[in-house]
Amino acid sequence: MSTITPSKGSHISRILVIAYHAFTQLVRMKVLYFLGAFALILIASNFFNLPQHEGPEAVGVNVLRAIKSHCFGAMYIFSVVISIVATALLLPKDVEDRTLYTILAKPVPRFDYLAGKLLGVLMLISVSLLLMDLLMTGALQIRMSMVLEEQLMMAEAMGYTPEAMESLKVETLAQGPNWSLHGAVFAVFLRATIIASLALLISTFSTSTLFTTIISFLIFFIGHFQADARAVYLQGDAAGEGLVTRLVSLLLSLVIPDFQLFNVIDAVIEGEVLPGAILLKLALIGLFYAVFYTVASWFIFSEKEF
Amino acid sequence: MRIWQRGCIVAVAVLATGAARLPIEAAVHRELRDARLMPPPLEIGTGEKIGQTSRAVALGGLRTLVATFLNLRAFTFFTEQKWGKVDETFRSIVDLAPRTRYYWETGAWHQSYNAASYYINDSKLPNLRRREAWRASIQRGRNFLERGIRNNPDDWRLQAYLGFMLSDPNKIRAFPNVAEAYATAAEAYAKAAKTGQALPYVRRAQLYSLARVPGREAEALALCRQLYSEGRSNHTPTLLSLLLVLESNENPASDPAERAIGIFGTAEKAYENLSSHWQRSRDQLPIHGVARALEGLEKRLAVPAENSILNQPLPPPPDLDVWFGK
Repeated sequence: MSTITPSKGSHISRILVIAYHAFTQLVRMKVLYFLGAFALILIASNFFNLPQHEGPEAVGVNVLRAIKSHCFGAMYIFSVVISIVATALLLPKDVEDRTLYTILAKPVPRFDYLAGKLLGVLMLISVSLLLMDLLMTGALQIRMSMVLEEQLMMAEAMGYTPEAMESLKVETLAQGPNWSLHGAVFAVFLRATIIASLALLISTFSTSTLFTTIISFLIFFIGHFQADARAVYLQGDAAGEGLVTRLVSLLLSLVIPDFQLFNVIDAVIEGEVLPGAILLKLALIGLFYAVFYTVASWFIFSEKEF
Repeated sequence: MRIWQRGCIVAVAVLATGAARLPIEAAVHRELRDARLMPPPLEIGTGEKIGQTSRAVALGGLRTLVATFLNLRAFTFFTEQKWGKVDETFRSIVDLAPRTRYYWETGAWHQSYNAASYYINDSKLPNLRRREAWRASIQRGRNFLERGIRNNPDDWRLQAYLGFMLSDPNKIRAFPNVAEAYATAAEAYAKAAKTGQALPYVRRAQLYSLARVPGREAEALALCRQLYSEGRSNHTPTLLSLLLVLESNENPASDPAERAIGIFGTAEKAYENLSSHWQRSRDQLPIHGVARALEGLEKRLAVPAENSILNQPLPPPPDLDVWFGK
């Protein structure tokens, strides 16, 4: 006769319950206060209007670029810090509060517990990014209308032809909110997803929150050089690199995720279009990492004694 | 299974999946580079100049953010008239955000216009050094802009800005070969027009530069006739005047006054526009046949000799000896 009590309900409903709990737990830690700071950054970035040197094309474009750069900077820092710190905190906090024992004493599979916790963190990040994206889009739209009005007035005073005015309008509208900007916000979320799932994996064998946080940040930092390490491995032979260098590069390329892939923000801010196909590929890569690290976390966590 | 055994299995899985994803990630990386979504690596010098914190932020994919702050720093240097610092900062900025036209234009403008004007009036330097600093600043601005064009070959505005700078009468003497500068300006405008996105004025500007290159008058006339035939929007006073000038150059025996009336519509309009053309000596536009045309028109319009535009003093051309002393 089996001593294991079969769990009731579906995996998904259990994961969602745990995720909602983790989300609430994080919200109570007043994490969303960051949105206040974000709003301040957004307002401050509206004052970056440097004198322009020539025609109406240059009027106010600095402000639009500053709004985008500063908002993305804030989103990026918020998402990375929260994904690492919140994930690193979750397991130790549940142990400290003894919540973990209560949950695991119930017929809750450990995978559901881990997946729920990760999902809770990702819910928090996605809600925050969504709110920040909305704020940025709103501010950008309002400011762009103001800039456009100013530019068209100046162009009219300078005797621009209707054709030139239309060209000016198209250029300025491209600096405003568009789908590529939202795509870039999604890329920020994907990067946060990877680093959060990686932090989850580390926290399953780590003995302290500080260790998880430091190692996760370290991997995150090294992850921005992974592409260089891969290039050294792939092209090192032709470049005359030694065997040891190539092996170390290979090891780094195999172990560390490539975070540079998600560095599409700059190009989007500079006006490049982010095609849906590329975003889909990035999403698949992000999903792969998230699933792999979560399964690996479960594999280690499943037999862990508390 | 013990925890360390599980750890080993996870490590093997990490390596195995790493081997599987390596070619995929390399391919996506290439695709991003080809789509211009991945910035080129930072130059070593830039990393050192922007400092460790900014470098770390830039590495994390926030180069435009660092560029925004450096732009503010460059503005402070500009207000303090520290031109070397302005130049250095803009070099870092464009390395961080090479596709932002604004930075290329502003960096070039600071050197070619602000720094150059500063040296015209800088009383602390000896004349010869002021003149050299003026020339070097303009050349630095030109080089900077040309680098911007190499980085953004499809950007018509950068090409047009180069054309504008090279054909600016206040800058032209900074270039060792004036004819070569006008020819390069015409070429820059032509490249801008070739992108298919440039505004109509760009092709007219190409003509204005080309007309000033000795020996290429026939080419300029062909372009002028083509623009003229494209419609009234191109019938600017400068273009119409150049049509007369270039035709007179091709056929010196023709009656320029008669032709001027044909081009401008009436003798009054022809006289008014050609007078302006005659007075624009600073712009160094060609004037073949203009004096003869004005003489003929003055006869028809019975303009008294004392009121003749040909007897009015011309504005002095930009003179480096006046600006910097002999």
